Amino acid sequence: MTNSVLPALIFMIGGFLIPFFKGRAKSVYMMFIPLVGFVNLINIPLGDHFLMNFSDFKLVLLHIDRLGLLFGYIYHIIALITVIYILNFKNDVEYVAGFFYAGAALGAVLAGDLFSFFIFWEMLTIGSVMLIWARKTKSSQAAGLRYLLVHAFGGLVLLAGIVLHYTETGSLEMLKLTLSGPGSYLIFLGIGINCAWPVLHPWLTDAYPEATIGGTVFLSAFTTKTAVYALARLFPGTEALIWIGVAMAAFPIFYAVIENDLRRVLAYSLINQVGFMVVGIGIGTELAINGACAHAFNDILFKGLLFMSMGAVMYRTGKINATDLGGLYKSMPWTALFCCVGAASISAFPLFSGFVSKSMVMEAAASGSHLMGQKSYVVVWLVLLFASAGVFHHAGIKIPFFAFFGHDAGHRVKEAPLNMLIAMGIAAFLCIFIGTYPKPLYDLLPFPVDYHPYTISHVLSQTELLFFSALAFTLLLLSGIYPAEMRALNVDADWIYRKSGKALYHAFDGILNPLNAWCDRVVRGTASRTAYFFKDAGAKISLFVAVNIWLLAGYRDQRLEIKKKKLYNDILHGTLPAGIGAAVTITFIFLVYVLI
Amino acid sequence: MKPHKDKKELMELKHDAVPGYRGVFSVVFTLSLLYMAFILFQPCF
Repeated sequence: MTNSVLPALIFMIGGFLIPFFKGRAKSVYMMFIPLVGFVNLINIPLGDHFLMNFSDFKLVLLHIDRLGLLFGYIYHIIALITVIYILNFKNDVEYVAGFFYAGAALGAVLAGDLFSFFIFWEMLTIGSVMLIWARKTKSSQAAGLRYLLVHAFGGLVLLAGIVLHYTETGSLEMLKLTLSGPGSYLIFLGIGINCAWPVLHPWLTDAYPEATIGGTVFLSAFTTKTAVYALARLFPGTEALIWIGVAMAAFPIFYAVIENDLRRVLAYSLINQVGFMVVGIGIGTELAINGACAHAFNDILFKGLLFMSMGAVMYRTGKINATDLGGLYKSMPWTALFCCVGAASISAFPLFSGFVSKSMVMEAAASGSHLMGQKSYVVVWLVLLFASAGVFHHAGIKIPFFAFFGHDAGHRVKEAPLNMLIAMGIAAFLCIFIGTYPKPLYDLLPFPVDYHPYTISHVLSQTELLFFSALAFTLLLLSGIYPAEMRALNVDADWIYRKSGKALYHAFDGILNPLNAWCDRVVRGTASRTAYFFKDAGAKISLFVAVNIWLLAGYRDQRLEIKKKKLYNDILHGTLPAGIGAAVTITFIFLVYVLI
Repeated sequence: MKPHKDKKELMELKHDAVPGYRGVFSVVFTLSLLYMAFILFQPCF
């Protein structure tokens, strides 16, 4: 047992107390929370802590090992940076939601059993939706609702998987799973939804650009990286992840190139970078897992930096579309510089952080041919190379070019506020520090590292790739072939379920509603006919018997009609002659006797 | 955020060709294709 506090609680409870502070005390208090959390975390020894009995389950709320710690450290760092970044916004909803969200992410990566992990996983959804809704625009409300629906579904899938897994194995431990039973497949899928796997990804590109300026920075750090952590913890070496990751790395490039909203470009870029991590986890060797985790660590920093720089642009100009921006380097030189650092890092330029982690994944793919087969390896390798060139093009060049350089949109605004510059400065410093001196990061990785990124072949091949990508961009632009930036809605995979949802609705409308109407008609018709029949059933049966007797007795025509009417009226009015009643009763008894 | 409503918002930002660069692009693109073909089919020679 430890004397420390559950790290998630520091953020969550600390966050809920923020509205009680005012002015400068609030700013100091907000920065204080992640610092206290960090000191708390580094003082917790390795192992299981905060054991709890819940019904028949033994829950482990805190499990400290190298994998969880790595994510725990970077979550504290990015929380501090983001808090500094949003100090001037004075939005308590955003502050509380941000801390709750960060706390949930911390809880998830430090959870020691699947049930605790699920609880924090669901809290992630609540925190992130609040960050999206905190922007208070119509589009953010709609995007937040869609986000909530997708993640509620994902959470249910995960919960179903955990329940099935528990009934199959009797264990809730966060140990490596193999894709063997329905439980493991559902857990795999549940995590995949949060990881923004292809086709399941539109929630990310839909919602992230709709969140608040600071909310997007928070969002870029936690949800997908927690999913990456979960895959690294539960499914390392699962070959399916290689192909899923390859698809993730490749397809967003095309969308990012044609996208006009620069925060949405970064959202696509986020999926692309997570693709590299997923490939690393799928390969599953120590180098690959280290590479995936190191890249997650770095991505949180440089993607956060890029989102912060775009947020600063949005804050000052009120614009975020490439069609409305350009030439801002004159007004916002520091923001432009920090954006370029983020761009160089995500592009894996030597001396920037992306280089020292992405090259680990590439190296792991290069040395993983014995795992995948030679032909598969060539495909994976080529697609990752293509994705590396693509990310330089859309995140490395497109973002800074269209925001700060390119055509001058005529915005003459102030530089970003000081707190934003400090936050971006810290992130930029860390990007360069890790890129030039990766040893501290390597020392934090889950497995011992025997890898040297700065070899001549690594540096030359990566530089060659990047410069040829730059050449391609330049020539495409100068020759007028580069696609125009347009205000348009790009059709993504959500088209499939938006359209199929509508088709399903129309199908049900066309089949079930007529069926319902037909059933209604049949039931109502049968009921009314039955009611009509039973209204004078006794009279009709009596008439049937009596008329046959009268016919035998020689009654015909008008006399018969008169007798029929009289008998019918007598029965309806309750004045049934005793003889007729006896005859009907005898007939009934006779029929029963014959039938039985 | 401070939206500047006085700025006219563009519907499309075209990238007009600079005279002469279409040819440069064609040459570089062709050479790149040939180079890539050479690399990929090198084992066949």
